[in-house]
Amino acid sequence: MKLLRMAWRNLWRNGRRTLVTVGAMTLALWAMVLYTSLMQGMLGSMESTLLDVELGEIQIHADGYRERPSIWERIEDPEALLEALDETGLRSSARLLGGALVASGEASTGALLKGLRPERDARVSDVHERLDRGEWLDPADGSGVVLGYRLARTLGVDVGDELVALSQATDGSMANDLFQVRGVLQSLSEDTDRGTVFLVEDAFRSFFALEDGAHQVIVRSGEGQELLAATGVVEEAAAASVSGVEVRTWRDLLPGIANVLDSAQAAVQVVAFIVYVVIAIMILNAMLMAVFERIREFGVLKAIGVSPRRVLALILTEGALQAALAIAVGLLASLPTLWFVVSRGIDVGQLGGTAIMGVSMDRIWTGAVSPVTIAGPVFILLFIVGLAVLFPAVKAARISPVEAIHHQ
Amino acid sequence: MGEGPVISLRDVSKVYRQGSVDIHALRDLSMDVEASEFTVICGPSGSGKTTMLNLIGALDAATSGSIVLEGRELGGLNKKELSELRRDRIGFVFQAYNLMPVLTAYENAEMVLWVQGVDGKTRRERVMGLLEQVGLKGMEDRRPSELSGGQQQRVAIARAIASNPAVVLADEPTANVDSETAETLLGLMEELNREQGVTFLFSTHDPQVMERARRVVRLVDGNVASDERR
Repeated sequence: MKLLRMAWRNLWRNGRRTLVTVGAMTLALWAMVLYTSLMQGMLGSMESTLLDVELGEIQIHADGYRERPSIWERIEDPEALLEALDETGLRSSARLLGGALVASGEASTGALLKGLRPERDARVSDVHERLDRGEWLDPADGSGVVLGYRLARTLGVDVGDELVALSQATDGSMANDLFQVRGVLQSLSEDTDRGTVFLVEDAFRSFFALEDGAHQVIVRSGEGQELLAATGVVEEAAAASVSGVEVRTWRDLLPGIANVLDSAQAAVQVVAFIVYVVIAIMILNAMLMAVFERIREFGVLKAIGVSPRRVLALILTEGALQAALAIAVGLLASLPTLWFVVSRGIDVGQLGGTAIMGVSMDRIWTGAVSPVTIAGPVFILLFIVGLAVLFPAVKAARISPVEAIHHQ
Repeated sequence: MGEGPVISLRDVSKVYRQGSVDIHALRDLSMDVEASEFTVICGPSGSGKTTMLNLIGALDAATSGSIVLEGRELGGLNKKELSELRRDRIGFVFQAYNLMPVLTAYENAEMVLWVQGVDGKTRRERVMGLLEQVGLKGMEDRRPSELSGGQQQRVAIARAIASNPAVVLADEPTANVDSETAETLLGLMEELNREQGVTFLFSTHDPQVMERARRVVRLVDGNVASDERR
């Protein structure tokens, strides 16, 4: 208690210096909490777009489909597979995939047609919630399609416009049909934005003269379920119901993005560390000054029998008190900022839709809050302050009393 | 500890190395200090007074020779034991008071007892008694900056004797105060010596202090030139 009192009073011997040091720590903490929140928000949004909208956690394809995608390479009995997956409690849905030339007026481009059952697909994908305008697919509207954001722009079409699709059907005939744009998606990912057309399963089958099978089954792992564990369950269900399929996690499908997402968290910590190192130099300087100014006092303390450990504890306590002040003020200051970035977000204007590793950034960049948002920056601050204070503290503790007392 | 001298120095030498030159601060000095003595070490600048107090106070180590405090050979103690010895058996009064500026008079006087782990109630009783004894009753809550030089030195004396040490080492304790204050301080230390048997060992240039001493040891060139008991 006496040590704490001494440490506290020592801080205010040079109040201005203490305020500047604490102010720098506070500002750094505030900035790092905000930065962490925004980065978590961005990464969370990217992951959510990837998993909730595009991929799901696990996908099942016919053997060889991924290497050479083809309308003929399909899962023979997707219904049996979906039934087996339903029994495991995992959410799943099948999709049909086929390439086509889509055109409107003078404009045309290649696109990937994705056929799905809207009701079942909603279990595995939030794509139906990501409409920029218009409406999502309706099983009753066989000619209705939903387009990617940039594809609509390339073709110069909007909700209500007609769209022609041309391809080769599985029976060898020329597949062609006239569709009507029901909706246009928000910017989601490079692939979806530029070249995806969603349509209902029946329309897809009719267009490609495809009676059975599916090209892709998307599976979502359970809440909090380990991906590997879920994959094991899916593999068992697949092996028991169909043959000739391969089960892949989203990490297998997009290893580059998976690595980026994994390392991005570490990158956040590295940036935080660099910011804090600058602060650490400031703290080190302030604490060294505080120690050198008081060399005689440390000499006297040691002369009257105060142990080196207590002297060390005194300086460390002074550092800890400054850090505690900075944490209290920094976190208080962070609350309204976090509230703003989480609930309102930052409008990034023209940057909205910019693709990062193929995944589009939302126009409103929102932050996220988790224990790591606070604990990460706080932990690193404490670590850095500890390091910065340790050197002057050890110096004070090891000081020779006789030299210190006669120090001028 | 009633038997034998409180402090015993035998053939103590201290050599400082300054660049390539050896400075002999003490040369084979031998001397005893008995319990309850009121001894002054005097001598010209550079005669070894402060060095001698530093060695007796376990603040520095002798180059050769033996220093024994209450039967314990200082050369045989490690840093921790020396620190504990200073804490429990030696009181210090420095020329420049050397109080902790952030602590009050009470807290400064209490410091050694706190380090010793004495409980709060005992500390309070002891320290309040000491401050009254040194004439600082009512000034317990003042910080050193709110006290005069003489008052600060009284706090330093209270701190030095708080743990009932074997000896109080005072390095030129009156050097920074006026003669009237010096007189008062000397009176106080004499009283503590006479009434409580506190052993004092001073280093000084001050004739006023030498006059009050009951034993005056004169150092010249790091050795005892004269040792006069009164």
